[in-house]
Amino acid sequence: MRLADARALVPDLVTTAVEPEADRKLIEGVAGWCDRYTPWVAIDPLGAALAEEGAAQVCSAGGFGGDAGLLLDVTGCGHLYGRDDTGERALMADLVQRLARHDFTCRAAMADTAGAAWALARYGEKQADLFCPRNGQRDALASLPVDGLRLDPPILETFLKLGLRRIGDLYPLPRAPLSRRFGDQPLLRLDQALGRVDEPIEPRRTPPAFRSRISFAEPIGRPEDIAAATSRLLAALCSQFEKASVGARKLEISLYRVDGSVDRTAIGTSRPNRDNPKLMKLFGEKLGELDPGFGVELMILSAPEVEEWTGAQDHLPETGTPAKSSWHEDGTIDLADRLALRLGAENVVRLAPHDSHLPDRVQGHVSLATPVPEGAWARLASMKGTRPTRLLQRPEQVNVTALLPDDPPRQFQWHRHTHRIVKVEGPERIADEWWRPRPSGKVMPANIVPPARDYYRVEDDDGGRFWLFRDGSLNSAKWYLHGFCA
Amino acid sequence: MPIISPAAFAPPPPRLAPALREQVRRLERAHSTQRAGRSAVPLGLAEIDAVLPDGGLLTGALHEIEAGPTPSGRVAPHDGAALGFAATMLGRFTPGTILWCRQPSLGGDAIPYAPALAAWFDPARLLMVTVRREEDLFWAMEEGLRTPGIAAVLGETRAADPTAGRRLSLAAEKNGVPALLLRPQPAPPQSVCTTRWRVASAPSYGAARWQIELRRNRFGTPSSEEMPSWLVEWNDETHHLAVVPQARPGSTGTYWTERLAG
Repeated sequence: MRLADARALVPDLVTTAVEPEADRKLIEGVAGWCDRYTPWVAIDPLGAALAEEGAAQVCSAGGFGGDAGLLLDVTGCGHLYGRDDTGERALMADLVQRLARHDFTCRAAMADTAGAAWALARYGEKQADLFCPRNGQRDALASLPVDGLRLDPPILETFLKLGLRRIGDLYPLPRAPLSRRFGDQPLLRLDQALGRVDEPIEPRRTPPAFRSRISFAEPIGRPEDIAAATSRLLAALCSQFEKASVGARKLEISLYRVDGSVDRTAIGTSRPNRDNPKLMKLFGEKLGELDPGFGVELMILSAPEVEEWTGAQDHLPETGTPAKSSWHEDGTIDLADRLALRLGAENVVRLAPHDSHLPDRVQGHVSLATPVPEGAWARLASMKGTRPTRLLQRPEQVNVTALLPDDPPRQFQWHRHTHRIVKVEGPERIADEWWRPRPSGKVMPANIVPPARDYYRVEDDDGGRFWLFRDGSLNSAKWYLHGFCA
Repeated sequence: MPIISPAAFAPPPPRLAPALREQVRRLERAHSTQRAGRSAVPLGLAEIDAVLPDGGLLTGALHEIEAGPTPSGRVAPHDGAALGFAATMLGRFTPGTILWCRQPSLGGDAIPYAPALAAWFDPARLLMVTVRREEDLFWAMEEGLRTPGIAAVLGETRAADPTAGRRLSLAAEKNGVPALLLRPQPAPPQSVCTTRWRVASAPSYGAARWQIELRRNRFGTPSSEEMPSWLVEWNDETHHLAVVPQARPGSTGTYWTERLAG
């Protein structure tokens, strides 16, 4: 039915535009808020798939608007609210109540399997049935409509035509004919709902192996309070690290505000760290950026990235000679962490030599914890010819005048100035690395000679020294400026 | 009411200037001896070390190196020579990490190239930091100066911020770590650096040559000239740096014009 027809039938029809993007943002916000119960939160993959098919189908299928779902794996989380079943029931009640406080109407169901919970949340009738006791999904699902099995619409339609209206109607049917007629999907979904087959769920954010949480009876908001709470969380987390003999590479602190929004910030370290004061110092610079809003009721500190603790081995020399002052012993690595925190990790690097002939490839960046062998650069430099002190990251094409195509350059134009060349050193031929795959992904065929570069070190009449190269064959040679010499 | 004669505002008689300058230098030297943990690292060039305070570059001080104009007076097309001289200085400060902070220029950014720097020091000692904003550069440099285990801090920038310069100088003095500023172009002299050098590439004679001018030499020994200048030869094969003895500033230019004309 078209909107115009609908309006003709119901003149005072209220209409709202579909906003899948806004819906997605909202559901992601709610998912982030749900991290308070469990780190393992996923946005219902089925709802997401439907939403991607386009706005028209979102309307008909409900999509995020009406059918949005979140899956929470609360295994082992119920004990925070009570013993055994009561804890899990209390958790669910708390979730519904808190969401209601933020004006969300939601239906929550809990079961051993994601499939059963999905069906119960959508088609469960009595409120008391929404909590499915352990191993009770077979009975709980029997009376629900087959729509609860997350089937493709054509299969669903056929089921209804055949009179298979309840999930329970499928239980006595022989499996082989069912799968022959309808494919694998109905049986797979049934098995998943009943817990015979595992259903992997990908969480929205990878749940961290280590986390600690602190909730406040009264919302807090002062920066000092947040810092104090952070240091308590950090102490708890560091003792967890010690037990597991790991160190954190990345730490994330989440502030759950009373208005339901979450603010997060993260710090990274370049080597596994569990030094409480040092980590606190790193946090010190970040905590100021956090906005407590109207108050914070819950804080969670998690370690999304940990690595095996190597701190104790730092002092062991690798060879017989006594270890020189390494990066770890002096303050360099801590300095690098502080710099990386403000400037971005990709902007704080060490230089390591790459095994390559091409001048642009030789200088590589490595992470700070990677050791660069002493003297590696000197060895490399001794094998090559004279190199410029500065290298243009992208060679700049220049107009070069040479007497003959094969001759060294006589003058070149760069930045609207003509440099007359009075001295030339070269050429130094540097061939392309044919054994490496091209950017297109193909290795160069053996019968084609790859283009080589002829490098010249030149000096102009004003004493300026440059590094030029000629690229390509003699007939169609192009000249480039690649560096500046001392 | 005292009557001020107009002559009071006139520039002092020229013969007074050297005496005054000497007096200022004495005062500055007196200040310098009060500083704690002060030491100097020789540059390795006897002629230059002779005029520097304590016979070398002061650790715990700010040194500025700028790329000077070419012998013909044009703006230097690049600062390759100034970078070489800065690397020479960095090579003298051992052991420890060298913090190198740079602000990439827009379009055609030329990075310091480690295979060449290896002639002066092991590039494995470098901690390379790229910043987008000026204030981040000065912040990173100050953080570096405060960190134990850092041998020297170098900042590449066009910015000439007097406050930042003063802060760097104080941080360097307090921690005894040298701070170097490398400028691709001469900047107005307003920071409180201990030494300011202007380095330009000069026509080579076999090995590369640099024209080095010492434009500011706080605490240093006064020399006969106002701004002493040397022609220095850098041999990148033997890694040998030496002052070319007979050369006088200006004489090299004529040498080359003659050669080219002939």
